[in-house]
Amino acid sequence: MQLLQAERDALLKPLATVTGIVERRHTLPILSNVLIQKSGDTLAFTGTDLEIQIASTQADGFSGNDFALTVSAKKLSDILRAIPDKSVVTFEENESRLTVKAGKSRFALQTLPSADFPTLSVDTNLRATVRMPQGQLKALLGRVQYAMAHQDIRYYLNGLFLVTEGNHLKLVATDGHRLAYASAELETSFDKNEVILPRKTILELYKLLQEVDDEVTIDIAGNQVKFSFGNVVIHSKVVDGKFPDYNRVIPQNNDKLLTIERPLLLAALQRAAILSNEKFRGVRLVLTDGVLKILCNNNEQEEAQEEVEVDYTGAPLDIGFNIQYLLDVLTNLSVEQLNFTFGDVNSSVLVTIADNEHFKYIVMPMRI
Amino acid sequence: MNAPRKIIHIDCDCFYASVEMRDDPSLRDVPLAIGGAADRRGVIATCNYPARTFGVRSAMPTSRALRLCPTLVLLPPDFERYRAASRAVHRIFRDYTDRIEPLSLDEAYLDVTGCDACHGSATLIAREIRARIEAEVGITASAGVAGNKLIAKIASDWNKPNGQLVVTPAEVDAFISPLPVDKLWGVGKVTAQRLHQLGLHTCADLRGWSQQALVTRFGKLGRSLYHQCRGDDNRPVEGGGRRKSLSVEHTYPRDLPALDDCLAQLPRLLADFTQRLARADPDEPPHKAFVKIKYHDFTQTTMECVCAAPDAAVFERLLRDAWPRGQRPVRLLGIGVRFADAAPVTDPTLPLWLGDEPVV
Repeated sequence: MQLLQAERDALLKPLATVTGIVERRHTLPILSNVLIQKSGDTLAFTGTDLEIQIASTQADGFSGNDFALTVSAKKLSDILRAIPDKSVVTFEENESRLTVKAGKSRFALQTLPSADFPTLSVDTNLRATVRMPQGQLKALLGRVQYAMAHQDIRYYLNGLFLVTEGNHLKLVATDGHRLAYASAELETSFDKNEVILPRKTILELYKLLQEVDDEVTIDIAGNQVKFSFGNVVIHSKVVDGKFPDYNRVIPQNNDKLLTIERPLLLAALQRAAILSNEKFRGVRLVLTDGVLKILCNNNEQEEAQEEVEVDYTGAPLDIGFNIQYLLDVLTNLSVEQLNFTFGDVNSSVLVTIADNEHFKYIVMPMRI
Repeated sequence: MNAPRKIIHIDCDCFYASVEMRDDPSLRDVPLAIGGAADRRGVIATCNYPARTFGVRSAMPTSRALRLCPTLVLLPPDFERYRAASRAVHRIFRDYTDRIEPLSLDEAYLDVTGCDACHGSATLIAREIRARIEAEVGITASAGVAGNKLIAKIASDWNKPNGQLVVTPAEVDAFISPLPVDKLWGVGKVTAQRLHQLGLHTCADLRGWSQQALVTRFGKLGRSLYHQCRGDDNRPVEGGGRRKSLSVEHTYPRDLPALDDCLAQLPRLLADFTQRLARADPDEPPHKAFVKIKYHDFTQTTMECVCAAPDAAVFERLLRDAWPRGQRPVRLLGIGVRFADAAPVTDPTLPLWLGDEPVV
């Protein structure tokens, strides 16, 4: 029985949106599958890993009867990718198989019943609904997401801390050595809400958000957050844990201000990094009147030295950092100038944008 | 970094039995074992030295132990008391070093390299620790002192009970050469048999083989054997007490004939497991979930999957997947989780927080 006929791209796009989170191998075989539902003229694809659920809908005037089935996400997307652009694709169902036809190709895939597909039960205890342009949220995420921990024992760091407070949305990410903070002003005011979103949710969200002014809606519930934008709805569980107090690690007494052109410092650090120790990735910054010296050496006693003329008049400083932490902030921001405010050799550096309270980046030094 | 290390392996003598004898001295001179009852297919966990003269050994089915020694006094284990004793022993360790790697309640490696106590003498530290365990906890322990974990562990077995052996770097060769291959890490019954068939009985025999040849025959273990038979072992003492896995298992008084009977036992196992997981309070979510099945003929199988939050459905799925491998009556079921191997944090960058407190 024919279920559906559509152009390849009308199927591949929404499918690709939801397959990013689908694990290929799982003890629950159905979790490797994507749920395909047609209801009226709307076609919906849904993928889940039980923590995150992404649904993508297309309302392209699909005709025919309603149906719902699940099929291997990987196989279906491999097939759709492999057939020529603009091909017309037909889905047919024969007993418990889905036959995908395009041109002279045909693929018979096993299905599992849609009733067995585990959809997240939606938390209806809604605490706040935040709206902003997609592009703005994407830019905000871009300023912090690189600082999230990855597979840290402190599981609550493997994610992003999202806070609504008054008319501010605040995002914080840290791996325990460095911390990135970004905020935005909102049109409405909210009670204080704090949630930790899993790393996977953030990476997927960042990937799927477009640089457009169209709205994204963030629904914050007790133990779930929902992001809706375009044809996409992401439901994510939140990480149960206590995020460390980020306010107290923002240095207050740093007095050595270095204002520097971001592209200039980035290029110098990228060159120096070639000879930084592969394991520890240390870099020495030596600040004196008007000059920033950048020094790297590796295990083979090879050395790189860069000198940058800077407008610096503070006390001399000789301090070490993990060069990656510096490169991260320089590559993920697009502003021309950054302020580095140092304390002593044992205290963190604060990186900010001039006259902008909405971004802060803090890196602890390493002893070299 | 090739300065010689000083490693102590401390092993309490027949730990559970010692705790029982401490609390009831009348048990001292009678054959005593801690374990499960014979009619419930229990096994011996530990037995005292009088019991050992009858041939009773740990991991032996209780029924067999009772045949060997009909006068054996059998006590059920009381882990609360054993844990308390273990904690007391660990408190003593911590007076000497933070680099402690517990292997079980009654066994640990200590890295005392660079310790100031006892003029830095590992031999004297080991002696003092043992004396304090006896005085403060009321049980005895044996120790091995050497330059690495491998030799220290073998050495602690040498003068048991209540003794210790020091193997200096110069003595390693003479110590390890005559050692039977069965003593090496990773060599169980089956591997020992394969080694014997190749005419390899002692470490000296093993040394005649190239690393290549050993790897060809024994894979990864081959490389380990190559180093072990030379007394080389650079594994660090891994403190922090990272738990590798947590599981519960149960041997059933009567075999479970079919899959459905196994599935019916899951809720009870899961309840026990959940309780243990809560009590253990691990710092991180599990990495994998697994089930273990031992069939009535003692063959066994395990099946695992990557899973951070295992629940009844996950274990059920694993059990359904694993059981058909044997399709025989089942005597033992176990469920558990493994934790991810610690990715050692090598970043020398200072932390932003120590615990909850900002460093700055």
